Amino acid sequence: MRSPFAYVPRSGPLQAAGPAAAVAYLGSLTAVAFLYSNPVVLLAAGVALTLAGRLAGAWSAVRAALWMGLTLALLIVAVNVVVVSRGETVLVRLGHLPVLSDVITAEAAAAGAVIGLRAAVAMIAFAVYSACVDPDRVLRALRPLAHRSALTATLVSRLVPVAAADSARLRDAARLRGPGAAPVGRAPLSRRLLAGSLDRAVDVAATLELRGYSLDRGRVRQRGGRSRYDGRFYAAGAVVLLAAIAGKLTGADAFAEYPAIEIGAGPATLALAVLLILSGLAPRTRPTRSASSSPSIRTRT
Amino acid sequence: MQIETETQTTPALAIEGLTYAYPGAASPALDDVSLRLDPGELVVLAGRSACGKSTLLRAACGLVPHFHGGEVEGRVEVAGIDALATGPGELAAAVGYLAQDPETQVVSTTVAAEIELPLEMRGDSPSSRARAVEEVALALAIPHLLSRAVDTLSGGELQRVALAAALVTRPRLVLLDEPTSQLDPVAGDELIWLLRRLNEEWGVTIFLAEHRLERCLAAADRVVAMGSGAIAFDGAPRDFLAWAQQADIALETPAARLFSFLDIAPLPVGVRDARQTLVGKGEGGTLRTACTFSEFTSGRQQPPQHRKKLSEGGAPLPSHDALTCRDLWVELDAGEGLRDVLKGMELVLNRGERVALMGRNGAGKSTLLKSMAGLIEPVRGKIELANGIALLTQNPSDYLVRERVGDELPGEEGMAALRVVGLEHAVEADPRDLSGGERQRLALAIALAGRMEGDALPGVVALDEPTRGMDRARKGELVELIEGLSSRGAAVLVATHDVEFAAAFAERVVLLGEGVVIADGPAAEVLSGGWYFATEVARVLDLPGVVTPEQGAAALSQSADFAFSGAISPKKTNSPEEGGG
Repeated sequence: MRSPFAYVPRSGPLQAAGPAAAVAYLGSLTAVAFLYSNPVVLLAAGVALTLAGRLAGAWSAVRAALWMGLTLALLIVAVNVVVVSRGETVLVRLGHLPVLSDVITAEAAAAGAVIGLRAAVAMIAFAVYSACVDPDRVLRALRPLAHRSALTATLVSRLVPVAAADSARLRDAARLRGPGAAPVGRAPLSRRLLAGSLDRAVDVAATLELRGYSLDRGRVRQRGGRSRYDGRFYAAGAVVLLAAIAGKLTGADAFAEYPAIEIGAGPATLALAVLLILSGLAPRTRPTRSASSSPSIRTRT
Repeated sequence: MQIETETQTTPALAIEGLTYAYPGAASPALDDVSLRLDPGELVVLAGRSACGKSTLLRAACGLVPHFHGGEVEGRVEVAGIDALATGPGELAAAVGYLAQDPETQVVSTTVAAEIELPLEMRGDSPSSRARAVEEVALALAIPHLLSRAVDTLSGGELQRVALAAALVTRPRLVLLDEPTSQLDPVAGDELIWLLRRLNEEWGVTIFLAEHRLERCLAAADRVVAMGSGAIAFDGAPRDFLAWAQQADIALETPAARLFSFLDIAPLPVGVRDARQTLVGKGEGGTLRTACTFSEFTSGRQQPPQHRKKLSEGGAPLPSHDALTCRDLWVELDAGEGLRDVLKGMELVLNRGERVALMGRNGAGKSTLLKSMAGLIEPVRGKIELANGIALLTQNPSDYLVRERVGDELPGEEGMAALRVVGLEHAVEADPRDLSGGERQRLALAIALAGRMEGDALPGVVALDEPTRGMDRARKGELVELIEGLSSRGAAVLVATHDVEFAAAFAERVVLLGEGVVIADGPAAEVLSGGWYFATEVARVLDLPGVVTPEQGAAALSQSADFAFSGAISPKKTNSPEEGGG
């Protein structure tokens, strides 16, 4: 069973774009999540990333990230409300408890929700990146800059799925042991997996050696592999970042948790939110124009 | 006027007095090996398991000693480059290497990137890389895989991708270590002929280590046989067969064995060769007229699948269902969305039956076994097991997690399981010190332990691809083990690509295709009725029901119009009933 976050080669603008362009685009939306605390803007960034993932065909990765991100967000809210006692709107009085807060306030819940939302947005961005950006192209881009780090990253990126497959096989074998055989606890299984991983690492390293990885010529920076979609994603990322900075200067991030919740929803905030959501359309594939609509090849009947 | 370039005169591989010992090893893995491979040769490297074949190939690509360490003496040159002084990276342009396990031979995420990597490391321009990738993909018939992620490929596809990565730099020498061990007969035959084509059209020197010699001998120019780390034979394929007949019968091909039984010379290097010789021996007509199936079965030699099944004590076993699969549907996601792997499978196994489960890569064999063992939940259908199932998956090492056999199998139940597989003497041994065959038997004992009532086995014992990397002698031992399990009342179901092994142990063959049973019948019928899922003897004789050398020799000896010069020597006859592999 493959991880929902595993890269799947597909033909789409985001997959075709260079890693730098994809990182610029996804990174700009993630940066907004860390620059802003206004929940309207955070939600808009989340919607934009979800839309981008959906349009790029990475729905299963986005769905898994949403599930994990929202679970994490709920956990953060739950922790925040029991440890923070600030806020004017008391929802529940717990009485005196050591370490923990004696009241649950709406403001503490809102503050937790903002942190959770930020984490969820970052997770969706990572999911879209992981499912849509080819790791081989990332490593190729890294290689001239940091050869050894790229080698380590190559080994790890290959060994993670191999170790996952080994682990699944070992677990299957453990289930297939007869009731008269010694049961396999976690310690022997982990030891066996570790030993197997080391063997695997040696095999993969040997393959890299045979492919000529140790040659200096592989370090030469090489041009090529540019995509016609690069400009689109660089532009989308730049627009998002510029709008975010402008919004920050014009008060689009108006939000206060304490002492009482105040969410700014002025024109600047709403405009930024709309722009962010529209940026989620960047991975959209343009519909192909049919030949019959082209005047240059119209035939006479 | 003769024009001879330097590349034509320099040997593709020259080894002189090579002796090598792995770090800490008591004895050398290679002992005074000298060998020369000329450009454009296709050489098969034969020998039993652990005789030094893989080490020799690793020395030829520079992994020995640069990667593995150890002590080395002698000289190795690849296309004029000193391989002992130069690392494998520098040799990569001159030599391509394909190891047994394709899973650890891919290092990239997508197929295109994997094939492109060696060129990138060499510093080729993007345009020349793109052309080379396209050409090698076309040569290996894998352009449709270029955009796929490597972890969504089947074993056979992965093997082709690894071969493409080894060939993309257009090396002068290609080394292959049992490349067909994970392939079905169709893909295995295709790969061998692809290598022959690359050899003929590109002039690539091929050095191919292989256990299934019947598959590749016809394509070979020369055979090098190894024994205990040394070269035991080096010569033409026909001479090799004559040598194997005297020196190591486990290296004989089935067709050569058939000829040996009948004292026919020369020994055949392939199906076509054998047919031509036999037609020449007949009194006109084709071999098809030698005898009919009914004539054959009415004679004194009965094929094993028609024998009455007997228990160890001699009494017939009760025949009742050990397993029933009804309308079995299994859905799996291998990275490209859910797909039906089993589509309404129907199967019944009787107790004491020996069944080979065959089919091409991806037909659903392993999925069926895992569903039977409860590792995969079917989406529809029913599996009924009369007395449980013990399944040995493809990697026996996955079952071995402790440092002492007795710790894996404690108590009386553990000892009973060890007795069944004949390993009761190895209680104190470290599983890693056991031979490959013994490790496999130990893993089977682990799967059986506690599932037996006394010495009575589970209803079904299933083995998934148990002969990968095994030589013929070890396969013979496995046949004996399977017959032992079957005589104790277990239905033994073995998923295998090895048609010769299936002919040796099975009385029934179930052939899968795209998740459904496409043929189910006596082994001799199924294995003699096709092009790919047929033994070498079946392809030579084309007689219904004749699949093993012993059956072939018996059929020909009964034939009135076949003029063979000798008779079947009782000493040489090793019938399947006696566990001949």
